[in-house]
Amino acid sequence: MLYEVFWDYNYYWTSSNKGDAAKSSANAISRMKTKFNKHGYDFIASGTGRYDPVQVVEYDNSGRGGKYFDWEKAYFGTGVYQTYDLSVSGGSDVASYYTSVSYTKDQGRVKINAYDRISGRVNLDQKVGKHVELATTVNIASTDRSGYNDTWNNGSNLFMQTRSLLWGLYWPTDYKTGEDWTARYGSYGQNNLYYNNKWSNDSKTLKTSINEALTVHIIPGLDAKTIFSFDNTDTKDEYYISAEHFNAPTVDGKAVARSISMDTEVRKIVSSTTVSYNKTFGAHTLGLLAGFEAERNNTRFSRAEGKNLSTSALHTVATAGVLDANAYSWGNSMMSILSRAEYNYDNRYYLSGSFRRDGSSRLSPLTRWGNFWSVAGSWRISNESFMQNQDVISNLRLRASYGVNGTLPSSNYGWRALAAYGYNYNAAPGGILSNVASDDLRWEKSYTYNLALEFGLFDNRLNGSVEYFNRDSKDLLMNVPISRVTGFSSTLRNIGEVNNHGFEVELSGDIIRNSNFRWTMGINGAFTRSKVTRLYREEGKSVGQDIIWYDPTGGDGLCQFIYREGQSMLAVYGFEWAGVEKSSGLNIWYSNNENYDFKDENGRNIVYDYGDADEVILADLVPIVHGGITTDLSWKGLTLGLNFNYKIGKMYDGAEQNTTDDGYFWERIRSRNMWENRWTDANPNGTLPRIIGNDSEDFEQYSSRHIHNGSFIRLKTVTLSYNLPKSLIGKIGLQGTRVYFSGQNLLTFAAWKYCDPEVNAYGTQGWGTPIARTYTFGLEFSF
Amino acid sequence: MKKISIVLTAIALVLSSCADFLDVKPTNQAAASLSIMNESDAKVMLNGLYSALTTSSFYGRNFILYGDAKSGDLTVQSNGRGYDYMFAYNHSVSGYSMSGFWTSGYNIIMLCNNIIENIDRLKEEGTTGLDEYRAQALTIRAMVHYDMCRLYGKCYNDDKSSYGIPIADKTVPAGAQLLRNSVEEVYSVVIRDLDDAATSLSKKKNNGFVNYYANRALKARALMDMENYSGALSLAEEIINSGVYKLYTNKEWAASWSSQFGSESIFELGMYVNEGDLGNTGCLGAQYILGGGNGRNNQIFMASKAFLELLGEDPDDVRWEIMGQDQVGESEGYLRPGSCYKYYGSKDMKGDGKASSSAVNIKLIRLSEIYLIAAEAAARTSNASKASSYYAEIHKRSPNLPVPNGITAAMVLNEKNKELFGEGLRFWDLIRTNATIVMDDTTPDVKVTTRETSFTRSFYKCILPIYNGEMNANPGIRAQQNPGY
Repeated sequence: MLYEVFWDYNYYWTSSNKGDAAKSSANAISRMKTKFNKHGYDFIASGTGRYDPVQVVEYDNSGRGGKYFDWEKAYFGTGVYQTYDLSVSGGSDVASYYTSVSYTKDQGRVKINAYDRISGRVNLDQKVGKHVELATTVNIASTDRSGYNDTWNNGSNLFMQTRSLLWGLYWPTDYKTGEDWTARYGSYGQNNLYYNNKWSNDSKTLKTSINEALTVHIIPGLDAKTIFSFDNTDTKDEYYISAEHFNAPTVDGKAVARSISMDTEVRKIVSSTTVSYNKTFGAHTLGLLAGFEAERNNTRFSRAEGKNLSTSALHTVATAGVLDANAYSWGNSMMSILSRAEYNYDNRYYLSGSFRRDGSSRLSPLTRWGNFWSVAGSWRISNESFMQNQDVISNLRLRASYGVNGTLPSSNYGWRALAAYGYNYNAAPGGILSNVASDDLRWEKSYTYNLALEFGLFDNRLNGSVEYFNRDSKDLLMNVPISRVTGFSSTLRNIGEVNNHGFEVELSGDIIRNSNFRWTMGINGAFTRSKVTRLYREEGKSVGQDIIWYDPTGGDGLCQFIYREGQSMLAVYGFEWAGVEKSSGLNIWYSNNENYDFKDENGRNIVYDYGDADEVILADLVPIVHGGITTDLSWKGLTLGLNFNYKIGKMYDGAEQNTTDDGYFWERIRSRNMWENRWTDANPNGTLPRIIGNDSEDFEQYSSRHIHNGSFIRLKTVTLSYNLPKSLIGKIGLQGTRVYFSGQNLLTFAAWKYCDPEVNAYGTQGWGTPIARTYTFGLEFSF
Repeated sequence: MKKISIVLTAIALVLSSCADFLDVKPTNQAAASLSIMNESDAKVMLNGLYSALTTSSFYGRNFILYGDAKSGDLTVQSNGRGYDYMFAYNHSVSGYSMSGFWTSGYNIIMLCNNIIENIDRLKEEGTTGLDEYRAQALTIRAMVHYDMCRLYGKCYNDDKSSYGIPIADKTVPAGAQLLRNSVEEVYSVVIRDLDDAATSLSKKKNNGFVNYYANRALKARALMDMENYSGALSLAEEIINSGVYKLYTNKEWAASWSSQFGSESIFELGMYVNEGDLGNTGCLGAQYILGGGNGRNNQIFMASKAFLELLGEDPDDVRWEIMGQDQVGESEGYLRPGSCYKYYGSKDMKGDGKASSSAVNIKLIRLSEIYLIAAEAAARTSNASKASSYYAEIHKRSPNLPVPNGITAAMVLNEKNKELFGEGLRFWDLIRTNATIVMDDTTPDVKVTTRETSFTRSFYKCILPIYNGEMNANPGIRAQQNPGY
């Protein structure tokens, strides 16, 4: 396919070879030679036509004829995960304890990523006198991690590199000298086998958490409890890049090494005090709770960076000639008053209500306090006297609730208009304005009601529930894009109202149930719809203004969405692709306006250039239904559990724009799907466009070409376990032994086969390393 | 009773510390409204403004590169490297729209307005001594409006009633949706602001910052666009005759690039280590040299055949001393000096005296340009002796070529091309003079499908489109999109 691109360029574009097939072919071959001769490959075209196959042969006795480097094997391996736990627990009437130690080691699928952790825990519960109980938990974990994360970057995303059919022609060594190949490859990827030794990235984390709970039983039924919790995570990162790495900085024209050392300490302190009263008198049961809670989160960060390290043997900032540093902290806090009342009569009628008032530092003093409450009731119909004389319905409960809850902005200081410093000029301090904000930023509030019916039939052999919910969210918080003429590209604002509603249905039952063998199966599904009900508008306008936004995962802007009144919350916005034009193999688009190059059989306007088309709403990525299916079999000590998840709905394949590109970008990785389905003279029914050396879909266009049926069903977990019978193990002093095997993501059936259909919250898929098939084997002993 | 009062006091204490508990402020940022309260605050925010100018999306790299890449002075050796889309005029609304100019330009303007309005407020309250800072911010605001107007709007002498850019001469509120003003309106605001600022600017050389002469130089550029040649000439002469700046001699010329704030620097933007330094792959200098940008063997831009022939009129031309071997020459085995080391200090890439060789100051306005503006303006107003004398000063740098009798504007422009190559000015001269732009498409490995090889400013891609993001947030501006997009 690369040959076709080069051929096209010559045939259509260059002045010397224009229209001359023989010269175009010769030039295309010579370009490929320039690229790959140095790796030991040569090319022979069997004919001068565009589609005549090209043979890849050996060059200069390199020894590489017929062989291609297996990068996938070089970069990826089977990940191995091991974890070992030991725990001891015991106690008396007055005190009980639980302690454990655990070690985990994870060698990831990407060979340079590694992780290990050692952690320990102590739980101690003590009764002091008749009225007081004290519970303490201390947990410490130390983690060590090295390697790096996936990004879209062509050079460092290993998954993306190994998908390219061309990559096998690149070798990590020079065929003439046998030395490491250090120059960059054509499309700016590089030989990571060599370069991975030239940098290192290591992160050590120490996490400490301590919880203390003091409970005082004042009088029977009346308890007071206070909890204090302290959680501290300290992460130290060391990053080093040697002077031989292509990304090394230079000083005085010479490449030098660089080292960065960062320290982040995240601390969370929570204190909560509650008083509760529980009493049963006759058929009435009453429970009351009131309390106060405060939470503070703080993160301290400091960084030291050095360039031009004195010696290649030492990798620390201390040896650097050029230094840079930064240090600051940030955080938030919250205070709440809470209360709850519950009442039930005769275990048949239940009523409860709650109220809380929360204040947060993430909003301005004028708006930071919010009141949130709920009421709920339920009726256990199956406990009524008229339900007692029948065998069919063993459990029937009707419940309903209505409540308000709130969401805070994710930014700590979003309501403050701030000036930031550290923008120095000529080593003198400099400051800029960092955002535009409004101090009437408010809580986002959701008003939810739900109604449910739970039932159990035939002595709870068959049970299930049906639930309907409706949630109206008002003052939706969003970083809304604004006109750049303001000097900023977005501002945090309460933009409007959305509605989510739906049904959840759950059904499960014991298909077979007897003393030795039991088979249960359950299925659940959620049908949800979402809608943008109202958007911010200027005075006098009757319709709110549309907001166009991008999928925030990974910062890649994989998909473009629009909030428009009356439309779904995940409405994809882009150009409507009309497929491939049969006679030319070119991309065609529905213009959705008055422009047209020709009309299709339904009279719709079609254009060849998407620049003539308008963007429209293409699809709704909220699933039609999603949920799970579980089934368990147990026989004596053996159990087998299977857990499936499924979805029916659409998805957007954001990575596809790279694998099926139709032109312009040389050495674009093209998938086998592209090779098989693209339009060619011999395949005029191809569903993908022809590759044209001087045209491209231009991957930045968001279009319906990448919207696919995202429905799938996946065997998420399989667990087979065996509890050795007591008669066998009791003799060795073991109290329980369990052997188990479990597998994750073993089988998937999906409508769109080219990428993992289990998408993120936005319905899109990108270049992250896909979810792995995992096989786990374990052994548990208890004494 | 006592117990209750103890409890109540405790609650009161807790609640009163509530307000403080929930008042969490960042430790590296301060309230914007309190950012300028006195003179030293104003200086800090002014430093921040200059730091913002060094952004790679504007004066730190892209704006300079743009003026060379689109002018026919540069060519590329291969497609798909770095900023070759500028060379290919490959602009569209959502792909390579170069929206960085729009977003960072207005960001800079917003910072200027913040400084100007706060200083005005302090002046009303009685503080004095802030006029110099205010005038610097005002000049920068005018400069950015001027440069953005040329990027997005047609040339003044082409069609001044056509769309320019939205004028932001005061702080624009978050919800505002301003529409484009005409080129004429933008220029009149630019001239008004430059003249307003000039009265308070220092007439001493101000290294790294704007001064009176930088302001006059900007106005001279604008007047040339407006074909007000006599006005431009008198401003240029004011700078030349002030005695504050001096031209480099032939011996000093090449060395001037490896030191900071030379005698010709009227406005030199400081690029410092740990501040504006873009490193060896991203800095301006890396875009023009062999071994720059993405790796040791991949040159992004090099001088075009036409430029090499022009400079080749005199093999002893002083300006050759900053040019070196390029990748075309390297791969074909001869000396082709298409690499320009102005922004790496010297052919040895030692930088300009700072710890990082990629942190080289950007000479936005130099005295040589002023001499050439004077020569061109004089030639166009039939002032032959002045045209000749100013032209000769620069022409000296090609010692083997005699000074012709009768200097024409075309000769001045050729000399300007030789002198100011690689400094981001050539494209604007071609547009202003409605010249035919001829691109160098001769490099074998290169294909360009998004433009012809030779065209004039009537080609719609000579100006940039308003990009998608702006149109989505400001729907009214969609109707004002530039023709062809």
